[in-house]
Amino acid sequence: MLPEQSTEIDDKDEVYRKRYDKMQREFLKTLICDEIIEEHKNKPLGQHSEALERVLYYFRRAGMNDKYVVKCEEPFKKYKIMALSGVRGRSPRLVEDKIYETVQAAYHGLFLRRVQDLMEA
Amino acid sequence: MAEIKIFGYTDKLSVKQGEKIDFHVSADGTKTAKAQLVKLIHGDEHPDGPGYIDQEIDNKINGEWKVEKQFTQLGSFLKVKDPENKLAIDGDFTIFGYIYPSTPKTGHHQWIFSRWDNKTNEGYGIGINKDGYLELVVGDGKEVDYLISELPIVKKIWYFVAATFNYKTGEATLYQEGVLTRYNSLLGKVVPYDYRSHTKTTFRFKQKNNPNTPFIVSGAEDLHELRGRFISGTYAGKVDRHGVCSKVLSKEDLDKIRDGDLPENNSIVAYWDTTVGFSDNGINNTVIDIGPNKLNSEGHNHPVRAMTGWNWNGKNDNFRLAPKEYGGIDFHPDSITDAKWNITNSMIIPEDLKSGIYAIRLRSGPGTGLSEEYVVFFVRPKKPNSKLCFLVPTASYLAYANEKLSFEATIIQPMTGQPPTITDIDIEQYKNPEFGLSTYDSFADGAGVCFSSYKRPILNMRPKYRTSGMGITWQFPADLSIIGWLEHNKYEYDIITDEDLHKEGLDCVKPYNCLITGTHNEYYSEKMLNALEDFVSEGGRVFSSGANSYYWVVAFSDEQPWCMEVRKLEAGMRAWAAKPGEYYMQTTGEKGGLWRTRGRPPQKFAGVGFIAEGFDTAEKYRKMPDAWHRTVSWITEGVEGEIIGDHGLAYGGAAGVEIDRYDLSLGTPPHTKIIASSGGHSDNYVLVTEELLYAYAGLVGSLDYRIRADMTYFTAPNNGAVFSTGSIAFGQSLPSNNFNNSASTVMKNVIDAFIKDGKLPGGAWTLEEKQWK
Repeated sequence: MLPEQSTEIDDKDEVYRKRYDKMQREFLKTLICDEIIEEHKNKPLGQHSEALERVLYYFRRAGMNDKYVVKCEEPFKKYKIMALSGVRGRSPRLVEDKIYETVQAAYHGLFLRRVQDLMEA
Repeated sequence: MAEIKIFGYTDKLSVKQGEKIDFHVSADGTKTAKAQLVKLIHGDEHPDGPGYIDQEIDNKINGEWKVEKQFTQLGSFLKVKDPENKLAIDGDFTIFGYIYPSTPKTGHHQWIFSRWDNKTNEGYGIGINKDGYLELVVGDGKEVDYLISELPIVKKIWYFVAATFNYKTGEATLYQEGVLTRYNSLLGKVVPYDYRSHTKTTFRFKQKNNPNTPFIVSGAEDLHELRGRFISGTYAGKVDRHGVCSKVLSKEDLDKIRDGDLPENNSIVAYWDTTVGFSDNGINNTVIDIGPNKLNSEGHNHPVRAMTGWNWNGKNDNFRLAPKEYGGIDFHPDSITDAKWNITNSMIIPEDLKSGIYAIRLRSGPGTGLSEEYVVFFVRPKKPNSKLCFLVPTASYLAYANEKLSFEATIIQPMTGQPPTITDIDIEQYKNPEFGLSTYDSFADGAGVCFSSYKRPILNMRPKYRTSGMGITWQFPADLSIIGWLEHNKYEYDIITDEDLHKEGLDCVKPYNCLITGTHNEYYSEKMLNALEDFVSEGGRVFSSGANSYYWVVAFSDEQPWCMEVRKLEAGMRAWAAKPGEYYMQTTGEKGGLWRTRGRPPQKFAGVGFIAEGFDTAEKYRKMPDAWHRTVSWITEGVEGEIIGDHGLAYGGAAGVEIDRYDLSLGTPPHTKIIASSGGHSDNYVLVTEELLYAYAGLVGSLDYRIRADMTYFTAPNNGAVFSTGSIAFGQSLPSNNFNNSASTVMKNVIDAFIKDGKLPGGAWTLEEKQWK
């Protein structure tokens, strides 16, 4: 962050958080590979390899604004992906029309979006 | 056509045969709904279980109900009882008081002390304008005059503020002085802020006092065409002692009041001394006017009392030591503890309706999702008539009522190890502040929610509901898996709730041989805990189904039993922590926090206590050597091999979600047997914070041996006993394979033994192991 941008931020903790976040992202990008994506697809929840766990810890700790969640349209049959507003009282928004038939598939679809966001950030 | 939505609640959760229950329903997009009384049997739709099961019951309440849109007053405030309109001052006045605004700049006007009508612009009052400046307002119904301070209010700082108005000359003054000390505010003295502002102007207009306008602290009167009169412009923050005088007080007079003096007696119209009324047993919702007119004010939606005041000095940590330092009353615009909807319908519980868990199912239009509602209630027998009783953990349902963690808490995904799975019901609940908050949420101003009530729809106390953060059933719908097990095995059982246990104590449970608790009975009042302890020590048996039980101290008032208070302190797995000095509950005067920190760890009663939580997987139990001991081998009779509970609707295992451990150092009865323990939990299972002195790396499932669920059993005097599963997931494991599974076998062995009169299998424990009979 440039000095002139920092003066615009009242909470200086946020300035460091952004620096830390950038370092995290740069490191985590090096962990993304076909193996951990396949590992997640096979087992979205539970104990994972260290590489996948580190990536997931980062994703889960993100702020609430635009954070992805699974939307259940029909229990155990139909799921979609939405993004939270991060603002109390404001609805989440649908991010794609794709329908997942199991919640596990939705978890993985959501993970792939997070990986894509990380790699593009 | 508008989307159809139906929501409802009952006036009481627990009702006896022959008693009346009222239903309060609000609907959008429809004027009618089809009502059907149902007995709830099973509430989890997970495909590995039997699915949702209810039983329709014939009753004259069934049929078409007329429903309407109902409105809810949001925000906590005080309304002054002023039948003779003493505060309708057609003359000089001074309003004054201490304030501690939490969020002064909200973009909305916040009224602090007002006799003002927002619809007609009549009256007078002081508040904080949308830009965060203190403001005096006077209006005559046609014109309004304002006086604004020079400096914006700084959040979470104690101020003394006052406004004077000279009726004859029109001179108005506004007085604002910071009264921060080393302890009482967010900031200390090292910050070079100037909190002081003194402004003056001449108003062109005078106040017109409508006789129907009430004096309100935190808000002002308003009118809406459909909903009628209500309070708007509520305030976020604390007030301390405040008052109104019928003369213009000088700056010197106000300086004295700022320093703690009272105004001259002959000028006082009202002086609300917020420190009057404390006893060792707390304080109620009435704020006492010590002036000549006795114009007491009443709290609505539970303004929070027993909070530190402007003169709190940091030495005394509760109002029982120094009531005069606890004049703080905290207001929140998003507080709601009684929706006060009109009664839609009422029902007398038939004398022959079996004790159980029931709901009025309401459907309109498509009759699914938001157009289907189950208004749940619990029916007790007029007189106990079973050996077995299920104790419904309604206090814990209140704690989690309408929680919004998936939408707001950054910690929820790291904690649960998964993304939330939300539904239209969750979104609707999130969009509508009228449904209120849980004790896991914070108000918009950042303060933790310490009151929760059932006089509002509780959308997660419904069959079929899956808690969004964890993707499983939780609390009420999870407890229906135990009900389903009782029904499947054709046990005769009664139902009682935490509220009954709190009100009636031991008498309420004494008639039973065995009590079964819910999957997560986390919140306990002292009366509830005493009743259970006495029940067991006098020969009762408890099957403690869940985990993280008997954990938080809570309080209920006799006048408003529908509302629970909790204060979360320095220890425990908690969504917020009370601010310094605000540890004692206004409802009873007791210290809040964990029972563990008050000398009653759960281990003392149940044998086990909270050790870890995790939400990505669940495990099985493996028998421990004690399981084969001749005194307790009957518990696992019929379970082939060592494994118990390798199945379930909560992540596929009976040991998980939240888990409890045996610990002699915390009072586990020394003769307790560990029947089985889980293990191999994932690293999403982390040690509870109350176990921590120093934090260090590795306090997780794969690295810390303590992280496990212990299934324990011990005997008590007079043939009493406690069996604990040590796991929330145990209850959800029962329905697997149509209730035919190893967890179910264990539960059946224990319940069959516990409901029998006389001695337990295995005999009584005396001093030495050899003396087991």
